[in-house]
Amino acid sequence: MIFAEWKPLDELIDKLKIHKKVLLVGCATCVAECAAGGEKEVETLAPLLRMALKKQGHCVEIITATLEKQCEWEFVEQLAQQATEVDAIMSIACGIGVQALAERFDPITVYPGVNTSALTIREEAGLWAARCAACGDCILGETFGYCPVARCAKSLLNGPCGGTRKDGKCEVNEEVDCIWNLIVERADERGRLESLSKIKKAKDWSNSGHGGPKRVIREDLRQ
Amino acid sequence: MFAFGKADMSDKSQWPSQNPEVVVLYCQHGLCDEAKGSAWYQESKGVFVRAVMMPCSSKIEVSYILNILESGADAVEVVACPEKSCKYLVGSLRAEKRIEYIRGLLEKIGYAPERVGINRKLSQSPEQLINLARARADAVRPFGVNPMKKGE
Repeated sequence: MIFAEWKPLDELIDKLKIHKKVLLVGCATCVAECAAGGEKEVETLAPLLRMALKKQGHCVEIITATLEKQCEWEFVEQLAQQATEVDAIMSIACGIGVQALAERFDPITVYPGVNTSALTIREEAGLWAARCAACGDCILGETFGYCPVARCAKSLLNGPCGGTRKDGKCEVNEEVDCIWNLIVERADERGRLESLSKIKKAKDWSNSGHGGPKRVIREDLRQ
Repeated sequence: MFAFGKADMSDKSQWPSQNPEVVVLYCQHGLCDEAKGSAWYQESKGVFVRAVMMPCSSKIEVSYILNILESGADAVEVVACPEKSCKYLVGSLRAEKRIEYIRGLLEKIGYAPERVGINRKLSQSPEQLINLARARADAVRPFGVNPMKKGE
């Protein structure tokens, strides 16, 4: 999922303290999965902000809502009435959701309540790890299901750096597996070690965010 | 004497106390039969206690406790089963982790983390529950009234 984490609370308080009534909006999709912006987190953050603002002497009313998705206009529209009653909105969805609200409810100020930072999987309860870098040129079929772009500290494409620790951990971060060690082990298990000898050319990043703001049109789906 | 039965948490006229107001959330399995009742309140020496029974301490969500503090309670004491005694195996462990998380959040917004605590006990009598609440009240007394009460 798209992974996000709460911004520091004092940063949120600093933004909200100048307002009279704020709508705090969550999203029940990716940010709910990473326990940052779902309904549960909205109902946790709201009383926390109210308590903090009151303690500092600021009189700010905070109302709450959670949308199924903040990246779909049909769901965003559900806030139309509430948005007219507030002078600011704080979204704890990913950057996509924040921008959707900002565009639909202009000129109301929309603040991000989280920092969106990665594409992750939940490895176990309370542990999320990056899995995808959205590079736009997927080579997972050649690396036996392990992504060296997202999971190698150096994003190497043609084998390990030579710094792999004795226990198979990464030279840069001892808590992380050397992904190339895992790739090689899996290739060996499947008897396809020789496939890794084929040199991969330098990555073409033009299809990723590095290629500029992405805009994709599917004529078969347009109305 | 205990006023058993449903206690309306939003009815502030039921909170006429000069003492710290402590809400006790207790696991139904951690109490003797005499103490079991869905919710009750008691003013005792040094503390005003409002107790609410939970099916398991793991049912307590972070937002519940923050809402209780936001509504004006001076402190919350969670009474959970000891390790290896939880009927749901890891319920009280989860409750303990949530309490620690809440304490961290309170500290970040300038509230005393002592306003929330947890005790792992079994077969508590009403008097013992009140004693736990009194200890929590004593822990928060130096920090004064909950700021949410000021200016009401």
